This record gives sequence, structure tokens and C-alpha cells, in this order.
Amino acid sequence: MSYRVVHYINQFFANIGGEEMAHVAPELREGFVGPGLAFNQAWKGEAEIVATIVCGDSHFAEHEKEAKAQILAWVKEKKPDLFIAGPAFNAGRYGYACANVALAVKEELGIPVLTGMYEENPGADLKDKILIVPTANSAAGMRKAAPVMAKLALKLMKGEKLGASCEDGYMPNGVRVNFFEKERGSKRAVDMLLKKLADKPFTTEYPMPSFDRVAPNPAVKDLSHATVALCTSGGIVPKGNPDHIESSSASHYGEYCIKGVEKLTAETYETAHGGYDPVYANDDPNRVLPVDVMREFEREGRIGKLHDYFYTTVGNGTSVANAKKFAAEYAQKLLQAGVNAVIMTST
Amino acid sequence: MKLELGFIEIKDIQFSNECKVENGTLFVDAEAVKTFVYEDDDVKACVKSASFDIARPGESVRITPVKDVIEPRVKVEGPGGEFPGVIAKVDTVGSGRTHVLRGMAIVTAGKIVGFQEGIIDMTGPGAEYTPFSKLLNLVMVCEPVEGVHQHEYEHAVRIAGLRAATFVGELGRSVTPDEVKSFETYGIKEGIEKFPELPRVAYVHMLQSQGLLHDTYVYGVDAKRSLTTILYPTETMDGAIISGNCVSACDKNTTYHHQNNPVVADLFEQHGKTLNYVCNIITNENVYLADKQRSSDWSAKLCRLLDLDGVIVSQEGFGNPDTDLIMNTKKIEQMGVKTTIITDEYAGQDGKSQSLADADPLADAVVTGGNANEVIVLPPMEKVIGTLDYVDKIAGGHAGSLRPDGSIEAELQVITGATNEMGFNRLSAR
Amino acid sequence: MKNARDFLIVTNNPLLAQCMGDCYELSFFPDCSYREILVKVRDLVYAGHILYTHPLSGSVKPNETPYKSIAVSKAPHTFSAEQAGIIAECILAADKFPPRTRALGEAVKRDFQLIDYTLLAGALEFDAAAGLSKIKNHE
Repeated sequence: MSYRVVHYINQFFANIGGEEMAHVAPELREGFVGPGLAFNQAWKGEAEIVATIVCGDSHFAEHEKEAKAQILAWVKEKKPDLFIAGPAFNAGRYGYACANVALAVKEELGIPVLTGMYEENPGADLKDKILIVPTANSAAGMRKAAPVMAKLALKLMKGEKLGASCEDGYMPNGVRVNFFEKERGSKRAVDMLLKKLADKPFTTEYPMPSFDRVAPNPAVKDLSHATVALCTSGGIVPKGNPDHIESSSASHYGEYCIKGVEKLTAETYETAHGGYDPVYANDDPNRVLPVDVMREFEREGRIGKLHDYFYTTVGNGTSVANAKKFAAEYAQKLLQAGVNAVIMTST
Repeated sequence: MKLELGFIEIKDIQFSNECKVENGTLFVDAEAVKTFVYEDDDVKACVKSASFDIARPGESVRITPVKDVIEPRVKVEGPGGEFPGVIAKVDTVGSGRTHVLRGMAIVTAGKIVGFQEGIIDMTGPGAEYTPFSKLLNLVMVCEPVEGVHQHEYEHAVRIAGLRAATFVGELGRSVTPDEVKSFETYGIKEGIEKFPELPRVAYVHMLQSQGLLHDTYVYGVDAKRSLTTILYPTETMDGAIISGNCVSACDKNTTYHHQNNPVVADLFEQHGKTLNYVCNIITNENVYLADKQRSSDWSAKLCRLLDLDGVIVSQEGFGNPDTDLIMNTKKIEQMGVKTTIITDEYAGQDGKSQSLADADPLADAVVTGGNANEVIVLPPMEKVIGTLDYVDKIAGGHAGSLRPDGSIEAELQVITGATNEMGFNRLSAR
Repeated sequence: MKNARDFLIVTNNPLLAQCMGDCYELSFFPDCSYREILVKVRDLVYAGHILYTHPLSGSVKPNETPYKSIAVSKAPHTFSAEQAGIIAECILAADKFPPRTRALGEAVKRDFQLIDYTLLAGALEFDAAAGLSKIKNHE
């Protein structure tokens, strides 16, 4: 008996059409479709794609919740030993769908999952949560990607111990795994140094944790004439969360006017954040976004003025790429408004 | 400075009434070794007993707790003798000719403190991780005289091991080596003239120097009392550095590691071909933060003074030395000298934690000896040399790690030399 | 040069307290865990005390030895982000080691105390043997 696999692909790889057909709703087909053939061949009967789920990329992006629920229901029904998605190469929305569907299958159904894509595909943000095999940036890379993915897939189905990322060909996922190299460490160090000296590319065996530390700007010389803005990742929003900022993995930020607002009250503001106990923030939102104290400072002349707008999002599982994008955007608005300093509060 | 090493391949060790090396077999009279070892007053005063055993590759033997591993050698030509400043007089070594009994080692074992460390398995999965499973080991198990202070006893056992190695090494004096290799580095000007096109490379060798059971000695000087300084690589090869480090078995550098420093060997391999191997810079890993700053400042300063293009930095130990490693690397890079560093990792049993206690983006070229927290099961062995009394107390051995059947479930940390930070092994992690 | 008058030793090590207590100012917390000592030192560093010795001195792992001693300045100076970074990384590093519940025998405890004591004594250039003989004489 061979292992059962369910495969997820988009409209393009199902030969339905390109961008113009990206709206198609999820569809379940028996057996393999398109790129699934490559996996079936590599498995040589040890495993087989029993069903293929096809979904349009735009459809998934616009109806993620519904699409996911439908896909999960089908996967559950098919009782596969593994769920495989893509590979998505450099297709951004396809990669996003592959990664997110795979994550849902893993977390909600407890079935092993695997996907593949180009390292810079936005879907690769989830590489610490699901196994992703790095591929070339176009479908021409299928011939190389299929055997690696197929081999790793078999390993997962057999429940074998995962090797190091460089052995089994998945993107480093933050879990350090030991293995034996071909050369001893000192030889590898000499080789690496020689490459570094010759300005040739080399790969460190342990990438330093990236801190992305920001060097602080010089201190504001005269606060008493400065316009200071408040920003937060603590999710403070006007009551009712008018812009529907998500309680986790926020996809946007909010800009709200506080001109004339003396302090935030429980009646008018709340937090949208789903990552901490909201009772105290909802009770007194100034605890997260200290408008009350800033107004005091304004009256005392310690700062020139509190900026009329605050910018807010939810920092709960929000991707670094998104957070950077938000800040880059509203930093320009702050600059244009002549803001001299920003207090950023977190939770 | 030029050093010739004459390698005498040892293929077997036999206890005997006489002491000699013949056709690759070491015949040794344990009593004679013991007599020589006990000629030292400190050994006499502190070591109650010393017994000998032989462990061969592939045998079902476990040696524990291991203190040090030493390669027997003898100086046959040129100034100095084995372990200068400790056993031999303090003359500068690293030139002339030294004979090496290759393929064997003296292993000292036995309790020093109540959490004594280090396992060498001669077969099974554990043997894959320790380089010493591939050697013929003449093991000396020591026991302390009651009431002796731990620091005195550590010193005495250290000396006992070095004396045993000296005695055995002497047996190779008039044996014709199977292979002779020579190693030479040049003075600054001479080197530049010889290899004008080659990048100038040195080895920044960090020495464990935190204190009791965490010490390294250079020509007999406690490394924590020394400023960062320079050695000819051949001095290191010729026994100038010895280990007094008894803690963290997996990533402590034994005396054998110093004698056979793989970075030195692999830099010599490229010397005159792709690089000009200038020298070794030795620096310490002290506890006092201002000492760290001074020592790393000096490392960087010497790199600049010597007009180096690149260095390899290796560390020894866990935690505190990470700070020295990063300080050295950062400051050397800031001098415009390129670095590659060798370390090991403590990423947790699940491999998910941050591996080092310090980090810097300038340390962008790292070689790793693997995650020391990874859990391994060592099956029981037919024979134990030493004692299993301390197994569940050694680093990485957790409660109940010694199972009723004699197998041991523990972290790689317990295995002598498993994640060596000189890059002695092939073990790595991603 | 090291200025002994400026040392404040934060410790949970009774042997160190005995040997060094009359030469240095101590904050002795016999009931604190290894981690709690690190946290106390972190708070002192936050308050501007200078960290003099490395918090993870010794290769004995944080889940092996219960003892930890760290020297900081007696008086607070200015806050150093770099030092706060060192102590924070050390707490993170210590937390990687799963806690062990094993009860330690008296002899092993004494060995751990001795190692911790001698490492700090070495760092502060205090004669460790002299400190030990002092308690010998009292016994």
C-alpha cells in the first residue's frame, strides 16, 4: 500500500488560465493534475497523489477564510499521509496561499505538510512554521525541485528523523540539527576565510541572529518647541475598530485624529490586539497610548505640541516585512507634517 | 622557525616487563611509568593511587570521567623539551625535531570534583563523536589522597598525565619515524619577500582562563595572567600549551588538541600556496570584563600591527567565552582584517534557542562544531575504565541519565571533544 | 587596576560569603536560585551599577550548579545599554538549559561552591587559598 498525498496547486498550474482566471473558486479533482506527475514519478509507487485541490490565487487572497475552510474539509475527508503545496516558485500570491494552506492543514488537522518556493517569495515568511523547500524563481526549476521535495515528503510520511536543513534541502527553519560534514571544522574555516579574502561568496554555518537594530537619532535639542507624535503596536483604535485592524498578523495600520482629545477613555477607544489580556488597555487606553500624559506635558510646556494624528497597528505575529512597510509609509506622513519626535509604544 | 615532526605509527599497545617501541607496538611496563610519574613531589603528596589500563578502538570500553588526553612525544634535536615550563625547562620550543607516537594517547581519568566530566566510548554511537575513540589509549586512573584540596589535586593529576606522556614519548627517541614532515613560518619581512602575492593570515587562538578547573598554561604561565601575545605556530605544535581545563567535556581543548591543533595543521597545509601563515596570536577568556576588553583590544591591535589580511578565531567553552569571541571578532573586523570563527552551539535540546550568549553582525563567517545540547543514548559497554559514579552529575547528563542497564541518556556535552571549537571534528549543525 | 573598595558581590554562595565576606561588600541571598541572582544583577545594571565580572563565568552549566556570584560596582553610575545587553543575553542563555530536579549531595554542593568562589576570587585577584584557610582556622 502506498502513502496517500493531497496536492494543492493554483489555476495556472492546473492549466485553467493565467491572471484572467485567478478568480476561480477551489475545486477538488481526483488523482494528480499538472506538476503532480513529477512527484508521482519520483515516488515510484511508494506514495501517490490521491487528490488535487485547485484554487485561483485572487480567490484565495480575497476569500481566504472561506477558501481555507473548504480546503481543510476536503483534506480531512481524503485522510492523506501528507499535504503538499506548490511549488510556487516566485509567484507571490500563490506562495502565500501554499504556505498558509499548508500551515492550516498542519495546525488544524495535524497532517505533515510540505511546500516549495523561491526564497524571496512572501510565502517564505512562514519557513519557521512549515517546511519549505527553496526553488528557483521560475517554473523552469521544477525539474530540480521535484526530486528534493519528493524525497523529503517520503521522509515525513515515514516519520523519519529530519536531517539538517542543508542535508534534506529545506529552508533553515530556526531549528539547529547536527550532522557530519565531509571536512573537519578547521578545514572548513580555512576554506571559508580564503573565500572571504578573495571576495567570493561564502555561506556561514551559523547566521548571527538578525537584530535589525536601529541606531537612535541624535537627541531632540529643544523639546519645548518640538511636535511629538504617538505611535503604537499595541493596537489602540477608536471604539469599534473602524478599519478592522486584525487582532494578529495585521495587514494594515490605522491613522486617527486626536485633535482636541484630552485623554483616551474606555467609551471612545479600545485595543484590537489579540496577543495580551486587553482588560487593562480597554479600561484605560492611555496605558498603552499615553495621550493623557502627553497633554499634561503640552500644558506644562515640556513639549511643544502633541501631533494631531496617531498611527497604530497590532504587533501580534505581524510580519517584519509588513511592519517595515507600514512604518516607512507613515514616517513620510510624519515628516511632511513637521513632526520632530515620535514615541513608539509596544506591549 | 622550523620544526620537523617524525611520526612513529603506533598500531598496538601491550603491557610488558620492558618498555620499548618495536615494529609499531608500544610495550610498556605500567610499574615503570608509575615510578616515573611519582618522582614528582606534588604527585606523591596528592595522588593516592594510579592504575593503568589499555583501551583500543572498537573495544566495548567506556572511559570516564576523563580529565586530559595527551600525545606522547620526545624532543630529539634542537632546544627545549616536552611541555616546557612544566615538565621540561622553560626553553623556547618549536624548532629542531620532535618524535611523535602517532595513533595513541595517554588519557588521565578519575574524579577531581563531584561533578567530574567526560566520556570516551571506544565503540558504538558515542565513538562517532569523540576523536579519541580512534586512538589506542593508555589510561591512567588516579585517586586522590583524602583531604587534598581540589586545586592541588587537579594540578597533581595534570602533572601526572604529562609525566606519563613524557615517559612514553621518550621510548620513541631512537626509533626511525615512519614519516617526517617539516613546518616553517618566517619572520615578517622574510615572509613578505617570499610570498608577496599571498594574503597574510594568522590564527587567533583563545585559551580558556577563567580559574580553577578552567585554566590553560603557556610555557607554564597561567593564561589568565598573560596579555595577548604571539607564538610561532610550531611552538603550539611542540607542546608549549597545555590544558588544565576539566569542565565542559565536549568543547574543552585537551592537551592533545593543543599538540595537534587542527587550525594550525590546516593553515600549514595552505601555507605558501594560497596564504602566508604568519603566526598564532594567543589571547585569554577571563571573567573580569575589563580583562576581556584589554585582551580583545590587544588581539585587534596585534592583527593590525602584523598587517594581517585575515584570521581564524577559535574559542573554548560555553557562555563567558562567547563574549570574548564576539569582542575579538568585532574589533578585528573593525581593523579591516577579515575573520572566520569556529565555535559550537548551545541551541537547547530542541535546537530552537539562540546558539551563542553573544552575537554581532560582523561575525558573518562562522564554522560550527554542532549543538552540544543534542540528546544521545550511549548503550552500555562491557567494561568501564574509571567509574560511572559521576555520570548523572556531568554536564548535560540529566537526572536518571544512567539507566539501570548501564546505558546513558545525555546531551552531547558529556562526550570528550564532541563539539570541539578548534574544528577538530566533522560534526556540524544547520 | 582593580578597585576592591568599589566591588559589590551579589551571590548565593555560602562558601564565598564566608571567605570573602569581611573583605568585600556582599549582597548575600542564600535562598536565591542561579537565575534569581542573574535577575538581581540585571536590575542593578538597569539602575546604573557597573558589571565587573561576566555573569556566565565558568563552563559549569547554569542547570548544573546552583551557585552564582557576580561583582558589580557599589554605587550606580550611568546606565550602559551594552552591559544591559550582556546580562540580558546571559539570562536567555541560562534559560536554554532545562531545570533539573536532582538533589545534590553535600560534597557536590561544596565542589560547586568552591568553583564559583575560586572563579570570582580569580577575577577580583583575591587570594582564594587564603580565604579558605581563614575558615579552616575558625573550624
